[in-house]
Amino acid sequence: MRRVLIVDDSVSMRQMVGYTLRQGGYEVIEAEHGADALNKLTGGTVDLIITDLNMPVMDGITLIQNVRKQPAMKSKPILMLTTEGLVAKKEQGKAAGATGWIIKPFDPEKLLQTVAKVLP
Amino acid sequence: MHSGEVAKEGLGMDTELARYLPHISRMSAQLKETSTQIESSVVGVCDSFQGIAERAKSTVSRATGFLNINGDGASSKVSFEGLIQNCAGILVKILNTTEEAGEVSRRAIDRIHQMDEHSKMILKSLVNLEKIAQENKMLALNARIEAAHAGIHGAGFSVVAVEVASQTQRSLVVTAQVSGLIDNLRNLAGSAVEDLQQMNQQGSVRAEKSRREVDESLRDMQDAHGEMKQMLSSMTKDGALLANDIGAAVRGLQFQDRTSQQIAHIVEDLDTLHARLISRCGAVAASDTASEEGFSAYTMREERQIAGIHTAESAAGDIELF
Repeated sequence: MRRVLIVDDSVSMRQMVGYTLRQGGYEVIEAEHGADALNKLTGGTVDLIITDLNMPVMDGITLIQNVRKQPAMKSKPILMLTTEGLVAKKEQGKAAGATGWIIKPFDPEKLLQTVAKVLP
Repeated sequence: MHSGEVAKEGLGMDTELARYLPHISRMSAQLKETSTQIESSVVGVCDSFQGIAERAKSTVSRATGFLNINGDGASSKVSFEGLIQNCAGILVKILNTTEEAGEVSRRAIDRIHQMDEHSKMILKSLVNLEKIAQENKMLALNARIEAAHAGIHGAGFSVVAVEVASQTQRSLVVTAQVSGLIDNLRNLAGSAVEDLQQMNQQGSVRAEKSRREVDESLRDMQDAHGEMKQMLSSMTKDGALLANDIGAAVRGLQFQDRTSQQIAHIVEDLDTLHARLISRCGAVAASDTASEEGFSAYTMREERQIAGIHTAESAAGDIELF
């Protein structure tokens, strides 16, 4: 089963994304901010990361920059799931190594389609 | 206006502002609390949706397994459809066995009838034997008369004639006994035939009745199975609709994330404003001059706690009868 790490400081968002992915047949791991996500990644790799942008302790962009330094996670897809729609921010995410950018609120069906598309 | 008057007026404004400073921090705290409560509610709603979806999925899955509509044959349990077929097979076997028993008893009746015919033929032969014995008897009597006419020369002949008469009498007795036994046998066979015929008749009536009842029961079971299949199909469709509805609800509930972020931004602005005003009016800010305007509008315990008003009151959900 493919493993997906969801990173969001909002419990409800983690719950909604988690529910959608579990329904789609994925195993889900949750982290409440970037630093928590990096801790969870030390236990093993994941097939995909879906992260929020603005979070306490460590934001999404910093998380991506740190994740891309790990050899095992260099080519793994990372999707940003955020309310932020500024083109400049998107460019910043892309430069950090994000695979895609989804603006909240997400449509569960479309999220699953996107996940299927980015997972080889 | 003189500079002294301006300074005095500014101080007055600062004092007035300072009275309302606690309102800003209260607003900030109230907004944070509201955001927390909304998130908590949304999490609860999400939990409920997940529970509904899981239960619906589990119900459809169990019903499908029971009816084996999409059976892959991997399960060791017999499906409901299989049970109906097994039941029908067993009942047909029982009915066939009953019919076979009827056939066996019909053949037994035929054989008893054949035995009766043979008994009749034996009786006929016995009648012939009796007739021969009667003729022997007459012959022995005539022999004795002739022996008497012959005098001393016929004495030996007379002894033979008496012996023949005696033997004839004994054979007549045996013939009568055999005839009586055959009559008894025929009576018993007749009774057996009657019993078998009665049993056969009742058996075929019962078998026919059972067959009709079994057919009706099987039809009812098949109808019930068909209805269950339809119900399941409808449940599956409902399940798909439910999944769509939950998907829509998940999308709708994400308003909370956006709202929380907006509230967080307002709180940040309020906190900045509060800090700036504190730095300006801090010198005159004092709790004993703080305005208590707006407190009367607070109805919930959480609001009053944030405002620092501690009063005896009931918690949410408490019920009190007077």
